[in-house]
Amino acid sequence: MASENKSGTITAAGAAIAASAASIAHAQGTGVIKVGLLGCGGRGNGALAQCLQADPGVVVIAVADLFENKVRSTRDRFVKDEKFKGRVQIDDDHMFWGFDCHEKLAKCEADLLLMATAPAFRGPQMLAAVNAGKHIFTEKPVATDPAGCRQVMEASRIANEKGLAIVAGTQRRHEFSRVELMKRIHDGAIGELAGGQCYWYGGGIWYRGYSDGMSELEWQCNNWYHFNWLSGDQICEQHIHNIDIINWCFDGPPAKFTAVGGRGWRDHNAQAKDVCAKLNNGSEEGWEKYAGDIWDHIFAELEYPNGARCLSFSGHSPGTGRNGEKIVGTKGTSNCSSSISGENSWRYEGPNVNGMLQEHVDLIKSIRAGEPLNEGQRIAESTLTAIGARMAAYTGRSFSWKWLLGASKLDIVPKELKPGPGVFHPVATGRDPLV
Amino acid sequence: MGHRKELTRRDLLKNSAAAAGALAFAGPAAEWVYAQGSDTIRVGVIGCGGRGTGAANDCVASSSGVEIVAVADAFGDRLRGLKGKYNVPDNRCFVGLDGYKKLLELDDINLVILGTPPGFRPPQLKAAIDAGKNIFMEKPVATCPAGIKMVLEASAKASEKNLAIVCGTQRRHEPKYIETMKRIHDGAIGDIVSAQCYWNQGGLWVNRRQPGQSDVEWQVRNWLYFTWLSGDHIVEQHVHNIDVINWAFRDVQPEQVHGQGGRQWRTGPEYGDIFDHFGVEFFYPGDVRTISMCRQIDGSTGNVSERVVGTKGTSNCAGRIDGENAWRYEGPNPNPYVEEHKNLISSIRSGNPLNEGKRIAESTLCAIMGRESAYSRQQFKREWFMSRCALNHLPPDDMKLTDSKEVRPFAVPGVYKVPTA
Repeated sequence: MASENKSGTITAAGAAIAASAASIAHAQGTGVIKVGLLGCGGRGNGALAQCLQADPGVVVIAVADLFENKVRSTRDRFVKDEKFKGRVQIDDDHMFWGFDCHEKLAKCEADLLLMATAPAFRGPQMLAAVNAGKHIFTEKPVATDPAGCRQVMEASRIANEKGLAIVAGTQRRHEFSRVELMKRIHDGAIGELAGGQCYWYGGGIWYRGYSDGMSELEWQCNNWYHFNWLSGDQICEQHIHNIDIINWCFDGPPAKFTAVGGRGWRDHNAQAKDVCAKLNNGSEEGWEKYAGDIWDHIFAELEYPNGARCLSFSGHSPGTGRNGEKIVGTKGTSNCSSSISGENSWRYEGPNVNGMLQEHVDLIKSIRAGEPLNEGQRIAESTLTAIGARMAAYTGRSFSWKWLLGASKLDIVPKELKPGPGVFHPVATGRDPLV
Repeated sequence: MGHRKELTRRDLLKNSAAAAGALAFAGPAAEWVYAQGSDTIRVGVIGCGGRGTGAANDCVASSSGVEIVAVADAFGDRLRGLKGKYNVPDNRCFVGLDGYKKLLELDDINLVILGTPPGFRPPQLKAAIDAGKNIFMEKPVATCPAGIKMVLEASAKASEKNLAIVCGTQRRHEPKYIETMKRIHDGAIGDIVSAQCYWNQGGLWVNRRQPGQSDVEWQVRNWLYFTWLSGDHIVEQHVHNIDVINWAFRDVQPEQVHGQGGRQWRTGPEYGDIFDHFGVEFFYPGDVRTISMCRQIDGSTGNVSERVVGTKGTSNCAGRIDGENAWRYEGPNPNPYVEEHKNLISSIRSGNPLNEGKRIAESTLCAIMGRESAYSRQQFKREWFMSRCALNHLPPDDMKLTDSKEVRPFAVPGVYKVPTA
């Protein structure tokens, strides 16, 4: 977690990073930073725009996605964007698609890869990238199972050895107000941490129907949110932001997990029947699997090493929406965003930044300074925290971080992927075997 | 018996006087018939299932001079055990959903044990207090706000009539809890900033529907699984732990509730309309948020406990404090299920009857709010719930075992709405 504190320091210091370090092979000093984008969905397009805005030296030279049409439309969109004139230099032979597109992308001459595909694939993608000497910006989460988290931890270790940067799209870590706040919490402003809560409870999400020409697996990957092996479920895909904040407060992951949850409201039955019919010659038999297998609510208790038990409250359904965090100490409380109440009351009054832009600013500055940020281990830990809470809910079993990290054999992402049949699992029962 | 009957009537008259406004009982308590240590406590048991039978046995074991003299149950087969064990004559055994009314007409009974499913508790408590009986009642005490109001009214009336109400939240009578709470209230862990409570376990018994059973008979025999009868397991079972957290907060009630839950593993029709898991957040004054978690899923990790966290330490509420004022309870651990009856009967005999009615109504209300918040996926205030919620699960006074009654569809979170007036 030391890199996190370092990240905070650098971020808070703003422009304090001197342009003195120039020893790194890639993208040193003020030269051009060549960027490749992996994953051309909404988040990938957003991340690319933010990266281009973050530093005038950024040029994009390659784009990759599972689907050719997304690759082409993304290139077209950026080529036409006046803001980035002259900085979009994507040759025809630098457009990659298919299940192996990340391998081809890793072989191109990009310095920095932006990763925004479905989370399931991040482990192999990051390993391929660091092995090829690329810096990484990765969207969160970075895996959907413990095996994937361990791959990211390995990629992070290699990045450290090679002096490569990894920054993750948990943008709250790059917001000045939170960085200043966390310094104070770590310095004891609210005393010893005694409890906390974090929430992401919202309405539903998109469901993508079938488009002509897709295989079943390609359709599934396009509709990835609804499948646990692809998204990690909502707690991992979305609520990780808030869980990451609580981990930040404690400067590390929890020691123990207990959770309940289920799927009571999600209803994509009509859409699922339509997809089923299109993929199966008009037959709706067995349509249920196309409705997805993720849950719609999880209530988890995260017990941290000092004994503090924190609530993670997430889900999707109509009703009361919640998004945020609170941390409770023996001397005060904090909204985890900008203020402290209690003995050491405090309110952040400095400048505010867009964290989703700032994360790219910090990343590129760190690369240029030759002091690359590496958030790989930390984002793998926060991802594994969310996965652990999900596993506790799916299985009805409590377990330790030590077991989860060291002994869980859960490995749900297929290793060989090619256009063809989809990969389906039944909806978890609440007492699935603990693997 | 005639003598006692007469005394009982006399006391009822006195009670009426007290109810009329005079502090008639501020005087010598010895006039009170039950205050005479030698007087027999004559117990009528309403609801002779596992808990009612257990309570009857614990009551007899708790104190000298206690007799089980009448029994009532919806079903003849259920009251046979107590009838045989305590030689209750046939004419003092009452079968049917209205059996309790006949039992309450017996003037010689001065203590009633209410051990029927919680959905029946409010009207039965009301009738028993009206009949001038002291009460031991099982928890929870209602399954809806309408029932809670009825219990609160009956409890107030019990105070006016100097009648005792003790409830089967036995932790309140357990020395290790009592001693711990004293210390927590004296500041041993400082101000409470966080708390958790759990009732996570496997499944319980289930009575599948038998051929020929009416809707009501089957539901009453399988009562755990119907919200109108049990309140769902967050109310039926987890109320114990919620009550302990309320106790830690000196019975200051939470201001808001925010829950989620569902029916994920236990989905068959034999499980009626209840959920198999709940996760609820209670907001106590000062925005102190607590975790309540309960689950009934076979093979899952069990945990039935409470924990409070203060600015100076933590406690398991049950004999252990860690932190600045570390402490361990090392006193005796008597059976709390017997203790609660001992305390009840000694309070009756001393003329200072315990009345736990309001307190258990409030803890039951917390659990009901948690359930309704999870069912509806709405965060709401206690005040709103008590003033606006129109939910009424109370059985009609003339309900019969042969009646038809559809099983209510289980709540779909986010679709179900809390009924409001």
